[in-house]
Amino acid sequence: MKYMTHAVKMLFKSAMQYRASLLMQVIAQFVMTGGELLAVTVLLTRFKAVGHWGAAEILFFFGVMQSTFALTELFGRGITSFPWFVQRGEFDALILRPRPLLVQVMFSQLDPRRLGSFLVGMIAVLTAAAQLELQWTLLKGLLLAEVVLGSMLLLTGLFMIEATVSFFSVKSIEMVNVLTYGGRTACQYPVDVYPGVLRVLFTYVAPFAMCMHWPVSAVIGQPMMALPMWAYFLTPLAGAAFFALMVRIWYIGVRHYRSTGT
Amino acid sequence: MAFIEAQSLSKTYTRHNAPKSGGISRLWRREIQQIQALTDASFSIERGELVGLIGPNGAGKSTTVKLLTGILTPTGGECRVNGRTPWENRREHVRHLGAVFGQRTQLWWDVPIRDSFLLLRDIYDIDHAVWQKRLDALVEALELGEFLNAPLRQLSLGQRMRAELCGSLLHAPELLFLDEPTIGLDAVSKLKLRAFLKEENRRNGTTILLTTHDMEDMLALCSRVMVLGRGRLLYDGALDALLRQYDTVHTLRVVFEEAPEIAALPAHVTRDGDAYVLTYEPAKMPTSELLPQVLSAGRVREMTLKEQNVDELIARMYKEMAL
Repeated sequence: MKYMTHAVKMLFKSAMQYRASLLMQVIAQFVMTGGELLAVTVLLTRFKAVGHWGAAEILFFFGVMQSTFALTELFGRGITSFPWFVQRGEFDALILRPRPLLVQVMFSQLDPRRLGSFLVGMIAVLTAAAQLELQWTLLKGLLLAEVVLGSMLLLTGLFMIEATVSFFSVKSIEMVNVLTYGGRTACQYPVDVYPGVLRVLFTYVAPFAMCMHWPVSAVIGQPMMALPMWAYFLTPLAGAAFFALMVRIWYIGVRHYRSTGT
Repeated sequence: MAFIEAQSLSKTYTRHNAPKSGGISRLWRREIQQIQALTDASFSIERGELVGLIGPNGAGKSTTVKLLTGILTPTGGECRVNGRTPWENRREHVRHLGAVFGQRTQLWWDVPIRDSFLLLRDIYDIDHAVWQKRLDALVEALELGEFLNAPLRQLSLGQRMRAELCGSLLHAPELLFLDEPTIGLDAVSKLKLRAFLKEENRRNGTTILLTTHDMEDMLALCSRVMVLGRGRLLYDGALDALLRQYDTVHTLRVVFEEAPEIAALPAHVTRDGDAYVLTYEPAKMPTSELLPQVLSAGRVREMTLKEQNVDELIARMYKEMAL
């Protein structure tokens, strides 16, 4: 634990070495994600509703997804850039240190630029909450925090697919990004606006619905499922389970790497 | 049992190549090629030895190092380092191991090197007081004092190498791997680095295994060398003996006061200006027997004995071993 907090502190310190550049990049990210937010807002003023969801509700979902994805990219940089890491042969250095490999990978890099996108997401969430006249309670706050954590694990798990592929193939396969970046874009809207196949995909395969949409719908008082409140605290655990599964698979990749040394 | 014990260690890579012909099926068909990176290498190294690993590029040096450090698992054979199998209990194994791999940094680029050392303290779970004492000693020996607060990216190559060494020795490893430690360093830095490594080996009993193409490194540091070629261990023993084996021709350059009587000398003689150049094989004609004969051939004004340059020797050795 001491090692992990120390590593994070040091990564922030590294980032602070180039303060002006970092600030510019945060602003750039803010503008880019802000552009997406504007596009969604424009669509919502035109169409008023998506499926049975009102504009403010959609905005809330959008904001949760943007901030969660931004946090995942911020702290998951070690995983998202893992294929380059392996290609440069830097993975060997991690094998030579007495710490769990995945922990080292996760704490090897940060991407503080994503603070810009995170801010946009938060603005969307707060604006939507105000429009919905949402009554914040401790329980809702806790559930939302769990949603963010569960979804971050799910997204990290999805990024780990490409990380695992990189052990077997030097060329990164763009196709595996379908579920990460594609998942973000598709699942900034609740799954029930989609036809059957996509709904199954994002509920049971890459369980964005369980991690994010179901509990969020409960937070904004429009539950998608007829579940008691405590059950919404359980569904984001699907993200943790997905992550745990990907960790197992990633370690198979590690074993392959150590037997072939690509 | 020796500190490092390797028994018929082998490593075969499988490379998948796209076939050169075959039309559209080239997209998914792959030709499988087996590459023998290391074949049947057996050796043992005692604690406190300073061993050099040499061989041309692609000889299997880095494969050997990767197997001993536990980065790779072998396709065959056994290996124990202080009783542990490197690739099995990774974390326990690497806790006692230090490594500096040539150009690749293990420290953090953008923070003062002292911060890197602090993080290494936590990575290796070193008690702060123990760490501080060790750091002070290393900083003094490696003359790093004035750079402790400078980020790694601002250091010169030599300073960086010293910082890397410091980082790799903070946890007082039993075994240190060095890959081309003096590459790109200036003459003074090289000498200092060699002196430091000798001292580290002598004082702390650290076993050091280094790969290098720099024969001066070998001469200065290693009493024992292992020569690898095409994945096989071709020679394992004293460096002196190896050099003697290939150091077959010596050259003696003599300038006489007046014309000498050289016809009787047991050496091949040529002229170079006013000097006589005698080439002979010390194995057949020991220098100690040749010299009195040269001295009695005439009054000698000056004389220089030239051995073959080590690089030439090694090049000859590689050639004779058909590498």
